[in-house]
Amino acid sequence: MSAPAKAAYFGRTALLSMARAPFIHVVAVATIAIALTAYGLARMATAQVDKWAAAIAGEVEMTVYLADGTAPEEAEKLVKALTQQTQGQAKLVSPAEALGRLSESMGTFGQALEGLSKNPLPWSIELNVPPPSREPATLKTLAEQARALPMVTGVDYGEAALERLTALSKGLKWGSVLVFGLVFIITVVIVSAALQLAIHSRREEIEIQKLVGASDRFVRAPFLIEGLIQGALGAGLALAGLMALLAWLGPQANEWLRFLDVGGGPAWRPEWALEMLGLGAGLGFIGSLLAVRRFLRV
Amino acid sequence: MIQMFHVTKSYPGDPPVLRDIHLDIQKGEFVFLTGPSGAGKSTLLKLLFLAERATSGQVLISGKNIARLRESGVPYLRRNIGVVFQDFKLLKNRTVCDNVGFTLDVVGTPRDVVRQKVAQILKRVGLEHKIDVLPPKLSGGEQQRVVIARALVNDPAILLADEPTGNLDPALTLEIMDLLCDVNTRGTTVLVATHDASLIARYHKRTLRLERGTLVAEHDVGLKAAARMAAG
Repeated sequence: MSAPAKAAYFGRTALLSMARAPFIHVVAVATIAIALTAYGLARMATAQVDKWAAAIAGEVEMTVYLADGTAPEEAEKLVKALTQQTQGQAKLVSPAEALGRLSESMGTFGQALEGLSKNPLPWSIELNVPPPSREPATLKTLAEQARALPMVTGVDYGEAALERLTALSKGLKWGSVLVFGLVFIITVVIVSAALQLAIHSRREEIEIQKLVGASDRFVRAPFLIEGLIQGALGAGLALAGLMALLAWLGPQANEWLRFLDVGGGPAWRPEWALEMLGLGAGLGFIGSLLAVRRFLRV
Repeated sequence: MIQMFHVTKSYPGDPPVLRDIHLDIQKGEFVFLTGPSGAGKSTLLKLLFLAERATSGQVLISGKNIARLRESGVPYLRRNIGVVFQDFKLLKNRTVCDNVGFTLDVVGTPRDVVRQKVAQILKRVGLEHKIDVLPPKLSGGEQQRVVIARALVNDPAILLADEPTGNLDPALTLEIMDLLCDVNTRGTTVLVATHDASLIARYHKRTLRLERGTLVAEHDVGLKAAARMAAG
């Protein structure tokens, strides 16, 4: 029998046996679908937090404060140095311009600043770093390098908020890996148990196949194909559920999150569908492999 | 064709089922294996198609010691040995064609050839018209003929039959035995386990007798039984 003919034989056997015991297979498919829905939700949540972190980082403008009495020429030199170092855009802000902005931002209360005998604000440099450097770790290094420069008295870029969001994103990533690991194991056990029931009802068939000279591989192949099909169906079901959820929740979430201006609500990436399909197939395959093993001893 | 040397089979905590068995069955022979229930007949057959492994000793099939055959080699051995079971071991929800075709499927026979070969072997056992029937719709004798067809469809060198007529009435018993004899005349080595003395007496074949796991007599058991039947 040629390889395609063999594949067709195993596929046909797998589909026939699924049709003969549909309930057991529905249980396995549903279990895989639940596990993968949890995975998909975790994936979306992590991506959402990442998106927020990126949106906040995108707004980050690093302000470098210079010491009192810094000469404008020296300040210009620093601007050039920081521009070269970050490949971004740096703008020198004089104390007068800074005071003007402060006054403007205070509205009517800004008039109070006019009574100051001396401008208390220092020269500063506003640094807009390019997107690749907007990662919290890169920004932190840049800030440390800037602090080490002569005449620099302080650097501010909303460090605390960004780091908190990044930590949350990391925590969510690791949490979802851990949760998915647990869900994966539990699903394999449940799928394997469901398939054992299906295989148990076919133990006579397996025994006869073995007695007439079937190899373990021959007996196992249709069950593994069943597992793959169940995994794919489970993934399909989970994807359909997530898409429906996204279609229902997405516009509302966008509405809720609009005021934050953080790049919109939950979104879906096509590559996640492939991931889920692969994971579903893996779950079904491993579950079948474990289930069929104990019935091969004849 | 089939040889055993010092073969013992025992299970932990129990006395040996088979003790120091020696036997030699030539190619093309028809041999009865007889003895009371529990004497070890089925176990001896199982050692030949490796449903069980000998605890000690050598089991040779065509000169090869199968007692030490690796698990991966077992399917290849079984493809050369047809086995007929007392309880038929037919799948009730599969047609006769599917049941017989199993043996061909496992060796990778193309689908169209499977049906063709199954039809041929069913003709030989007189069941060509039952190819698409489910086993529960067949009589006991017909079911046993399907089992024989399944055992023979791959043209094995050896046919083992474990109480093949145990569930059949006398008329069907003779029908099945005649079929097994016919298989033997075509060159297949046949070993039939039975406790039915009338069969042994009727067919005058070489007979091996097992009692409590030991091979106690050979050669003339069939003739003695025939003499007893004639005297009785």
